[in-house]
Order: sequence, then C-alpha cells, then structure tokens
Amino acid sequence: MTNQANSRGHAASFRDPSGFLFSRGGVLYRQVNQSYAEDYARLMGSGLYERLVKAGLLIPHTEADQAPLTKEASFRVIQPERVPFISYPYEWSFGQLKSAALATLSIQKRALKADMSLKDASAYNIQFVRGKATLIDTLSFERYREGQPWVAYRQFCQHFLAPLALMALRDVRLNQLLRAYIDGVPLDLASALLPRRTRLNFGLLTHIHIHAGAQKRYAGEEVKSRRGSMSRHAMTGLIESLESTIQKLDWTPRGTEWGNYYDITNYSDAAFEHKKQLVAEWSARLKPALTWDLGANNGAFSRVAGEHSGFVVSFDIDPAAVEQNYRQVKKDKTENLLPLLLDLTNPSPAIGWANRERDSFGGRGPADLVLALAVVHHLAISNNVPLPQLADFFADTGKWLVIEFVPKSDNQVQKLLASRADIFPAYSREGFETAFKERFVTRETVNIRESERVLYLMEVK
Amino acid sequence: MHFAPLPYLDPGSGSFLIQLAIAALLGLGVALRASWGKIKGWFGIKSKPAEDDDESSE
Repeated sequence: MTNQANSRGHAASFRDPSGFLFSRGGVLYRQVNQSYAEDYARLMGSGLYERLVKAGLLIPHTEADQAPLTKEASFRVIQPERVPFISYPYEWSFGQLKSAALATLSIQKRALKADMSLKDASAYNIQFVRGKATLIDTLSFERYREGQPWVAYRQFCQHFLAPLALMALRDVRLNQLLRAYIDGVPLDLASALLPRRTRLNFGLLTHIHIHAGAQKRYAGEEVKSRRGSMSRHAMTGLIESLESTIQKLDWTPRGTEWGNYYDITNYSDAAFEHKKQLVAEWSARLKPALTWDLGANNGAFSRVAGEHSGFVVSFDIDPAAVEQNYRQVKKDKTENLLPLLLDLTNPSPAIGWANRERDSFGGRGPADLVLALAVVHHLAISNNVPLPQLADFFADTGKWLVIEFVPKSDNQVQKLLASRADIFPAYSREGFETAFKERFVTRETVNIRESERVLYLMEVK
Repeated sequence: MHFAPLPYLDPGSGSFLIQLAIAALLGLGVALRASWGKIKGWFGIKSKPAEDDDESSE
C-alpha cells in the first residue's frame, strides 16, 4: 500500500497487502490488489464465496466499476454490502463472541473443502449482519497448500478462545481485556488468570496453557526451526478441537442487575404499556434509519422502536441483560437489532494505531433517534453529571431524542439517594426542562400514566 | 517451509511449533475416524454424513 492509500484508505485497513478499504462519495469500496488475484479467483471460482454468502457467513459484494485508489497495485475494486453498525468484541456479550468464534471456525472448515484457508482470524473481521456473525473481510482467504499449518492459529486463540474461556470460567467482565489488548488476550496472561482446574480440560490445556508455555520457550527462535508439516487430517483435528472446546464453554446469566427490574419499579402495567405506545407512535412518525436505545436492558423498547426503524442498536451496561437480549434476537431471528455492552459513563474510546483503527462510541453516530428511557437519574445522580452536560451529550449523540425524566420522588431515585447526601438541587422537572431547552426543541411532553415520570420527544436545535 | 509465500502475520515460533504437535495428535483421531467409516462402509453400515452446510446456524 502506498502512502497515498494510507492517507485516503480506511484507517482500520492497512495491515494486509492483499487490498484495503476506501470511501468515495460516501460509498465503501475494497481495492483488491494484483498480489491477491489468484486467491480471489479461487474464492469466487470454487463456489466457496457463494456457499458462504448463502449461509450468512460472508458479506456479499459486487464488482464495482470504480477507479482504484492505487492504480499500479490494483487488480479489481469491489463494493461490499454496507454493515449497518460496526461493533467491536469488547462490546459483545459472551454469546456474541462465541457465535463469532464458531462462525470463524465454520468458515475455515468450509474453506478447507474448497482448498482454501483463512490467513487471519481477527475478531474485528466479524460483524453482526442480519443478526448473524458474518466475516466482512473478503480478502481473508488464501489457497491452501497441503502440509501448511493454520497461520491464524495464534490469532484465533488470542482473539476468541482466551477471552471466552476467561469469561466462562473466571469472570464475564474479563472481555474488557480486549479493549486494552487490540490483538487479543496474551496467552500467558490468560493462562495465569484461568483457574487451575482448566488444566484438566484437554482443549484449554493445549490451546492456552501449553501454547503459552511454548510461546515463551521459543520466543525469538528463527523461522528455520519452523520445519515440519501438517496433514489435512491434522488441520481438521485442530479446527474440530478448537470448535468442541469453545462449544463446551458456556455462561448463563444468573440474576441480572436489571433482570427483574420491571417488577420492582414504580411501573404499573399501565405505565409500561403507555410508554411502549408512545415509543411506537413517535418512532412510526420519525421512521429513523438508525436508532440507539441507551440503557436498553433486555431490549423491550428497542423491539418496539425496531418495528419502525431501519436498524436498532440496543446498548446496556449489564452483561447479563445484553446476553438475554442477544439470545432473544437469535430465537426470534430478528435482523435489525444489535445488542451491545456499553458503559455510558465511560463509552468505548477510539483505539488502535493512531487511535483511528477502532472508532469511538460517538464516532459511530449520530443516530437518527436516541431512546433514553429511565437512564437520566443514573447519569445525573449516580454519576453526578450536571443536567446541562447531559443535554450536550445527547445533542451530540442523536438528531431526535425520546427521553424519560424520573423525579426524585420515584423509588428508583430514592434508592440512589438512600446512602448519600442529596447534592442535586437542580434535579427537578423544571431544572431538567431548562437544561435541555438550550440544545433541544421539545415536540411532545406526556405524563406517563399511573406514574410521576414524564416522557419527552425532542429535536436537536 | 511448507507455506510459500510467507504469511503477512507472524504466526509466532512457539504457536507454530505447538500447533504442529497438537494437530499431529488430533489428526490421528480424524484419520482413525475416516478409516473406521471406510471399514463400516465395507460392511454396508452408513456413517453419519459429515457435518455440512447447515452448521452455519451458530
């Protein structure tokens, strides 16, 4: 890739010399380089592309009649289907990361049947499209040569196996290590953090513990020591072993932070239904292409908005709620809803090379419609964010806002104030409206039935 | 070296070597399974079809 491509190509697409992504006129293209021509021909000619696309495992693309970004290197320009929302492994629930891992292995198995093999196994190459874990890097395949080992083995163990094992067997929150380590969890760290008993699990013993030991022992050894070859049976055995090790890892949410939220709040059924009805009515009126539900819990209101939105991203801070939401998506085969893990008080930053490889939460916006239902008190009281700053945040996040004000008299707010001084004299309906008036025009104000809560529809100024 | 050209990501010396060892062991199982299928075939017993294009569901 030339400097020219570097300066105009996509900031996350520079490692692989086979090609890169670039935008032109708001459309995303992928340049395929000459050096990848034969691999590309095999992918398309062998029927592998078609089988993977049909199974929802690979992003479809069309060959585009576009000038390449760097002429001398280019073989072809393709236009991949646009992914509705790019998400990252540190924003996925356990089940989502597991689906992504199993999709990667399933792709590798199918590739081998077409005499191809994945040359990388990065979790960032997987996105959720139509509810399914889908490979978005068309250039990840190379021709398989008999005897060749899996070059992506190390990357697969770091990006998928290690975090899944840590989440299932140590603590589900350890997926946050992926935010610190962009090339996956270092295996010596995973080995040190995993419980001792995992040495009795053949898959974890070999692919993590012994693997980590071997990395340390052979660090810095030259390539010439990399003799030996691996039969096709051996390759199959390796992939199947990774697959069964991952299939046995499981994490089921026990009592979630919000699991029984709807039973213990000031909500009556009538209030809940009234709120649903308003969200349905307003989203039907706005028909947003992209809706973000912030503090979505298990996604009840995301589903209501989803009926009138192109795509909904359903964010919550609780791994159990996100997991439940994802399981529901899979069960219902919902295609336009993506549950993600997000701490609104510390949203995903931009990370990677030059801080530009993986976009921040805000960088992936603004959304057309933001739902902020029953979250204001958490941000304003638990996290001490002054109301004007809250208004600024929401104004930067979406064009339209459906926001619920929860007054101090509400039992949820009383709980938050139970063991601390009430240093929030401005936290009142009037204070809220004054603060938000600076950045928004209020289009609707409705008192929620059988509650003291108020729902607003606002448009950013 | 069995792969030419060299991969664009470093597979890591230790990862490379341990993979060969683990895979050799696991490959034995796959080879045995394959031969067992053949032996059963001689006696007219059908093996389960290899998992295939419906495995995408996960």
